[in-house]
Amino acid sequence: MASKRKASTSSKSSRPAKRSASGAATPQSIGSSDEYSAEGSEASESEAENLSRAVKTFSSDSLKNRRKEQSHTLDREAKLNGISNLSYLSLKPDHENRPLWVDAKKARITLEHFSPLANQAQDFLTTIAEPLSRPEFLHEYALTVHSLYAAVSVGLVPQDIINFLDRLSKTPLPEEIRSFILECTQAFGKVKLVLKHNRYYLETPDNKVLQKLLQDEVISAQTTGETAGIITEKAPKMGGLVIPGTKDAAGVRQQPGVQDSDQPSTDKQDGTAKEDNIYMTLREDDDDDEDDETHIHSVEIPKDGVEPVQKRCLELGYPVLEEYDFHNDQVNANLDIDLKPNTTIRTYQEKSLSKMFSNGRARSGIIVLPCGAGKTLVGITAACTIRKGIVILCTSSMSVVQWRNEFLKWSNINPNDIAIFTSDHKEKFSRNTGIIVSTYSMVTQTRSRSYDAQKMMDFMQSREWGLMVLDEVHVVPASIFRKVTHSIATHSKLGLTATLLREDDKITDLNFLIGPKLYEANWMELADQGHIAKVQCAEVWCPMTTEFYQEYLRETSRKRALLYIMNPRKFQACQFLIDYHEKRGDKVIVFSDNVFALKAYALKLKKFYIYGGTPQTERLRVLENFQHSELVNTIFLSKIGDTSLDLPEATCLIQISSHYGSRRQEAQRLGRILRAKRRNDEGFNAFFYSLVSKDTQEMYYSSKRQAFLVDQGYAFKVITHLQGIENLPGLAYASPAERRELLQEVMLQNETSADVEKVDDDLFSARSGGTRGKSSGMAKKGAKRTAGMLSDLSGGQDMAYIEYNKSRNKELKGKHNPLFKKMAKEQQRRKQQRLEL
Amino acid sequence: MPKAVKGVLVECDPSIKAIILKIDQDKHDYIVEDLDDQTLVIKESQLNRLKARLEEV
Repeated sequence: MASKRKASTSSKSSRPAKRSASGAATPQSIGSSDEYSAEGSEASESEAENLSRAVKTFSSDSLKNRRKEQSHTLDREAKLNGISNLSYLSLKPDHENRPLWVDAKKARITLEHFSPLANQAQDFLTTIAEPLSRPEFLHEYALTVHSLYAAVSVGLVPQDIINFLDRLSKTPLPEEIRSFILECTQAFGKVKLVLKHNRYYLETPDNKVLQKLLQDEVISAQTTGETAGIITEKAPKMGGLVIPGTKDAAGVRQQPGVQDSDQPSTDKQDGTAKEDNIYMTLREDDDDDEDDETHIHSVEIPKDGVEPVQKRCLELGYPVLEEYDFHNDQVNANLDIDLKPNTTIRTYQEKSLSKMFSNGRARSGIIVLPCGAGKTLVGITAACTIRKGIVILCTSSMSVVQWRNEFLKWSNINPNDIAIFTSDHKEKFSRNTGIIVSTYSMVTQTRSRSYDAQKMMDFMQSREWGLMVLDEVHVVPASIFRKVTHSIATHSKLGLTATLLREDDKITDLNFLIGPKLYEANWMELADQGHIAKVQCAEVWCPMTTEFYQEYLRETSRKRALLYIMNPRKFQACQFLIDYHEKRGDKVIVFSDNVFALKAYALKLKKFYIYGGTPQTERLRVLENFQHSELVNTIFLSKIGDTSLDLPEATCLIQISSHYGSRRQEAQRLGRILRAKRRNDEGFNAFFYSLVSKDTQEMYYSSKRQAFLVDQGYAFKVITHLQGIENLPGLAYASPAERRELLQEVMLQNETSADVEKVDDDLFSARSGGTRGKSSGMAKKGAKRTAGMLSDLSGGQDMAYIEYNKSRNKELKGKHNPLFKKMAKEQQRRKQQRLEL
Repeated sequence: MPKAVKGVLVECDPSIKAIILKIDQDKHDYIVEDLDDQTLVIKESQLNRLKARLEEV
């Protein structure tokens, strides 16, 4: 019985097993990273052995009625543990050669990555299913409605999908899966949302479907009086569409440089061969479909009704497809834009774009690529393919400037055609179409705007746009930013992010706010190919000192957090790690969410630090020194450094405090080191340490945070003891007296010191797009009170009145301030540039 | 007259010791002597009850 249970749970237990295996390891120093991976593979190998042994003993009896008698007890067990028991499925005789396990109840597919067929299977699975978890040996994929649509839109026939799955799976494909696939793929493409002449229409080739939808209360409440109109159209095909910069484009333009991108892809010959086969069937099928004449029925929907209608259609089982036929769009003017000839697109970028433009039309959706993998270039290439008016939305005004610069760098667009819309600049492009780059806050502002901003918004809302690119799209489901999706009329939307995660459940809303997930890159694969750095992740357990721990146990308020962050052992660990890495020549960034801790650490360890309250010039100075000077190798950053675009590259990251269980934050912080330039050196590793106080709540949050990274394939080592930490000269808080002093200081702190910093601006600029004044440091200037006699106040005595025009006064003062001088100079320069062009 | 009390020597992590001390705080019923950072002597009668309390935590 025991071994049987193991056979079914091994697939699920691989993930937790990774953590426990490392936790039980004897204390190891940081340098020995090789040991762990060997241990991991041993563990899974023995699991595989057990699996095959268990399976062999039971495969012969599987045809008996075991299902009936055991299903009761096992199902109950399964429900209790949340694992599914697949032992009732009969195994095929050569199951050892096949890499897939299919779970019918949850529509999950588990792939054995160590099997020889793994690569082809993986390519196939990424086309039809969504990857959930991809650690080293067992990958998990989920078959969802959306992933099947994506598959069908690429051209896979449902029967093909079923056959392929059947061939690769260890057990015969369960009936439920078959019917699920057939059901989903049949409903595909039935309903489309099209934008014509600035109005939204719900289209379908099947009149019955439309009638059914109109009978539903929610939808009929939204539709305006117009009845269905019959238009005859042919089904679209990929035809002559060529995505610039890809291999196809290489053929068309005969550029020698682009062909180099073919080299890396030939490594996985089997995989691409399989994909090519799939695409062959696609082309044949399309030819067949074209010949039929189809009637398309449509009904109009007002702008505000789009979101509820989409949601409802999804619930009814007819997900709305948003496709933009930009080739045949004669109404909107063409934008003259193309990629520069020397721009090459990497394979994974090409793959993600081919999913977007799979049948000649642009589909709306989300592309997930790790930080530093080139998302901006993906957005630019999509823009160059569509070639109509484009709106780009970013999170901060700094990123707006960055996007504009990237556009000018990678494409040959006329600088006049690309305009910025932020609180500082409100330009418009010169000709009748172009690109506008703006921030979410600017576009979704509900309060009254300035005159210029209002004019800009009217301009944006009055015309149709071809593409809306949403950077860091994981912020969009927030109630404030949702409006952005239908306040501006665009034919297609592209969402870009590295972390499609939110701790609330609103991430599924993105499916109908923007579109399904078109492509998700495999972080490990990218790291192997050298596009992002390889990272060693480790968790350092710092025991709490007795006094701190006693106080921690006694405390119940938010001050607990302060106690486990200010653990003196953590100081020591931090100091040791910084010392170790500086000696290796690494650049170290230390992150802390809590400002009090940040200051305490930085001052004690005598390092530079930046947080919300640091003035602008100081920040720039520190960052410049970090990047270029040999003397500054470590900086401490607060939450402010979490999502900037162009943070200097560091090769080592230490995290001393974090915001509860936010997985996104952990992943974003890791992204800071993924772009390290040195990543292509042999055997280079970036390091990511998370310092956790033992036996406190931090441990719990830490394991939650790592969930996302573990799914991407990063294994967190646990370091319980740092070798040689006692020998470090000048160790902070080495004596009990110092520790007690620290404890007293911490206990005296207010509760608010334990709070996470409230960040409204980002690392480089103050307030982006806000209308309120500067927050930090400037107290509201209240009324001034003076006492005096009436004769004094009316000028009878020596008192005299002078009128102060406050703003001009500030201006005067400002002129001496170097920051204002710099800003004035820049504005002058920009004006000159504009005049020149 | 010296008084002998039967006790159990407990060796543990400083953090667990802190937890035991906290449990003891309410009634001073468990601990006989606090030896150092990692060892305590507790009353034998209380051994099982202490184990139960620690399980809860």
